[in-house]
Amino acid sequence: MAVPTPDVTLATPIPPPLPSLVNNRRLRTQRLGRTLRLWVPGGFLILMLAMCFVWPLIYTLPSSENGNIIYSSEPPFSPGHILGTNQLGVDVFSQIVYGGQVAFEVSVSVTIIGIVVGGAIGVTAAFFGGWIDAVLSRVLDVLIAFPALVLALVIAEGLGPSEPHVILALSVFAVPALGRVVRGATLTLRALPFMTAARLAGTRGWRIIVRHIVPNIVPGIVTFSLLGIGIVIILEGALDFLGYGIPLPEASWGSMIAQGQQVLTAQPEYVLIPSIFLLVTVVALNMLGDALRERWGVR
Amino acid sequence: MTDVLLQVDDLRVSFVVGGRELRAVDGVSFSVDPGRTLAIIGESGSGKTVCCRAIMGLLPLGTAIGGSARLRGAELIGLSDAELRKHRGSDIAMVFQDPARSLNPTMRVGVQITEAIRTHRKVSRHEAQTQAIELLRLVRIPAAERRFHEYPHQLSGGMRQRVVIAIALACRPKLLMADEATTSLDVTTQAQIMELLLELQHELDMALILISHDMGLAASYADEVIVMYAGKIVEQAPALRLFGAGGAVRMRYTRALLDAVPHLERPAHSPLPIVGGRPPDPTALPPGCSFAPRCGSAADDCVAKAPALLEHAPNHRWACWHPCENGGAA
Amino acid sequence: MALVQQIQLQTGAGARGGVRRLTGSPALRMVGRRLIAAVFVLWGVTFLTFAVMSALPNDTAQAILGLHATQAAVAQLNKTLGLDQPFWQRYWTWLDGVLHGNFGTSLLGLNINHELATHLPVTLLLLAYALVVSLVLAIIVAVLAARRPNGVMDRISLGISMLGLSAAPYAFAFLLIIVFAVKLPWFPVISDSLGSTPLSYFKALTLPAASLGFGLFAIYTRLLRADMVEQMQREDYIVTAKAKGLTPWRVLIRHALRNSMFTLITVVGLNLGGLVGAAAIIETIFELPGIGNDLLTGIGDHDTALVEAIVLVFALVTVLGNLLADLAYTVLDPRIRYGSSNS
Repeated sequence: MAVPTPDVTLATPIPPPLPSLVNNRRLRTQRLGRTLRLWVPGGFLILMLAMCFVWPLIYTLPSSENGNIIYSSEPPFSPGHILGTNQLGVDVFSQIVYGGQVAFEVSVSVTIIGIVVGGAIGVTAAFFGGWIDAVLSRVLDVLIAFPALVLALVIAEGLGPSEPHVILALSVFAVPALGRVVRGATLTLRALPFMTAARLAGTRGWRIIVRHIVPNIVPGIVTFSLLGIGIVIILEGALDFLGYGIPLPEASWGSMIAQGQQVLTAQPEYVLIPSIFLLVTVVALNMLGDALRERWGVR
Repeated sequence: MTDVLLQVDDLRVSFVVGGRELRAVDGVSFSVDPGRTLAIIGESGSGKTVCCRAIMGLLPLGTAIGGSARLRGAELIGLSDAELRKHRGSDIAMVFQDPARSLNPTMRVGVQITEAIRTHRKVSRHEAQTQAIELLRLVRIPAAERRFHEYPHQLSGGMRQRVVIAIALACRPKLLMADEATTSLDVTTQAQIMELLLELQHELDMALILISHDMGLAASYADEVIVMYAGKIVEQAPALRLFGAGGAVRMRYTRALLDAVPHLERPAHSPLPIVGGRPPDPTALPPGCSFAPRCGSAADDCVAKAPALLEHAPNHRWACWHPCENGGAA
Repeated sequence: MALVQQIQLQTGAGARGGVRRLTGSPALRMVGRRLIAAVFVLWGVTFLTFAVMSALPNDTAQAILGLHATQAAVAQLNKTLGLDQPFWQRYWTWLDGVLHGNFGTSLLGLNINHELATHLPVTLLLLAYALVVSLVLAIIVAVLAARRPNGVMDRISLGISMLGLSAAPYAFAFLLIIVFAVKLPWFPVISDSLGSTPLSYFKALTLPAASLGFGLFAIYTRLLRADMVEQMQREDYIVTAKAKGLTPWRVLIRHALRNSMFTLITVVGLNLGGLVGAAAIIETIFELPGIGNDLLTGIGDHDTALVEAIVLVFALVTVLGNLLADLAYTVLDPRIRYGSSNS
């Protein structure tokens, strides 16, 4: 049994546990902040998606392509036209909704293509190394040094304007970028001891890729993709703005800005409204990416 | 009481991590007399480093620090950063674990020393350089004039640690904290650096706080030993009492750390005893004794109630319901 | 494209680790290797451009002569322009010209060398203006922000840089025009002529440079701030510096900023490529007589020679920028300059 303890011990009462140094309000504020940083941009994006894809199904919007010249240039908050009409009488809110559909469709498709194709290139290059890596990396280098906008514009110019062509053109951006990111991430992983352990254990190459590499690079890819979607939305707008994107009269945020440019001095709101939607959507995507990065501890 | 150099009472440090409070240091008290050596021993994460950095005010902004630490009677905790800066480097200095990381890789060694001198003393650039070269000689660096102009990566590990010590000694502090100062060095260099530290301690009449996980270091060099676990002191005694003939170690944790030190007397190839299990999650400490989950002789009362650190024998405190007998020697 | 550079920013992180790890290999050999890679990349870019431009429908002659031109006249013009030759031959002719310093003639009959000589300075001035101002501002703001992470300044700077990161440069350009050219008539809406005085240059280039620079500023600020905050929290040499009793500002600027600059230099070099697209659009909006504007015209006209020349110049700027960044790194970072003896 225990050593007999001196009497002094028995006489001395055990001190109560020390109170917390951090007050509860601070802890609560921090936790609330963490939740808000994820759900404010997340909730906003859900709302945006609902506005663009669900709302037109529930409620019949005025046409986003044709307007009546009689109702042209109505200011925002006009009856029937919550954001007004443009100089041709087309409802601005409808344009925002259908332009938003295009923006999301294009950006998500491009990012998925980027992840699949670029990811495959990146993993292959990093995992097999040697001449495969050398060749693939040089190709990625060229694609990145190449002003991708030029390539995108030339593709759009050559194939003619349409949504699938815009997606194809913008994939030229996404594939090398994601390829490099995935290659870098895989190389870092490959250097870790557990990879060597897996190889020493005789695990086959493709199995290592599927079981060990892919799950470990997913958080990085997801946060990077959120950034990527934002970038692609801006680029899609750039193509539309330059007249190489979605063909008129179909609505897109970029072409709305281009149309607004013609009446910039008189009615700046035609440029400002699509610009604000563009900005806020991309801000939300970036904030969501930052919040997820913080949660998952991605560097 | 006036001759106490550093008096720490009920020091507490909390971080906020992911919306939860992490008590890194929870009610630690000790004192250091001038010219003496205190060893703070514990596993990584036991709060020993945080404890010392809290005293110097080197923890990140937003860290909650409570309790008191008085340097020659003057309170340090709660001082503004500007007031603390007057003590940092001049009264208290620090040497860190990894000399490869504790020197700025892009600055010349000399500048990093003169910077320390010129912060506290109004001396000319030239005078600072002379002093710095003197310091390099003091820490036994050969060809000091040449080394003064070199970058950290051009020096060997032991040499770098000497530079770090030179920086720490720049203003002849009264207290030097050596945070795992020899851990990352090879064994012969370790011994050299320790000898250097002790020589300098006597030369400059400094008090020394050795922070380490190595009980052997405490046994060889310390006057007083503190063992920390999960932010608390679990045993505190003079080194002679713990390590002397018929050592009186009471805590099983201390015993385990002591057993983990390799000895020549052990039969060759016998497995070195290790402390089993892992240190507890500091954001979710058990209600009872924090060491109970890993303790060989934990009983029901250990899980239910945390033992307090009490002076059970003269100058020997421990926090355990069932202390070892006979120093717990296995 | 302010955000395009985010891609390179991400990939830049790998480059940074690479450079840190490169310690040990002689600096000159590294630069030599980069030079060879750069030549390969440049060649790849010209070839890719040529291939892509050749894939465009061959309707140039028709476009020049009009719809009613006879078949014979079109064939004749194609022959004059060299468009009837096979792809490889045309590429070789072009490459031969470029290697002799002759970029050829554009479809509209302009001497491209002359065109570049007059328009390239405008673009370079625009890029330099945007780059320098955004770098200086980013350094100031990032230092103020990193002084107190999560403090007021930090939150403001995070907010601003989030906006800069997310704003489309073309949309931001219009905002600037509306505010600083229409509502407040401080700057011209259109800058098709730079004038001849420093003031007229300043007036013509400020809004375009601001449109380009906001995104850059955001990227640099985020990068620098993150790097410095990380150093301040993780690095032992920062603790050593603080333990000496240095003031926080001194620790931040002499120790943290100094080391973060190496990362920043690499990213600035990597970013140059991404600036090209943005510069082209901004020049179009402000009608600046730069080569970005020419580039868009050239693509619209299927003008292979013009597009090739401009793409090559831009690629050259990018590659040189990267090389300069590497060189600066090599010269400034003692770890590389002297090579490392151990670790």
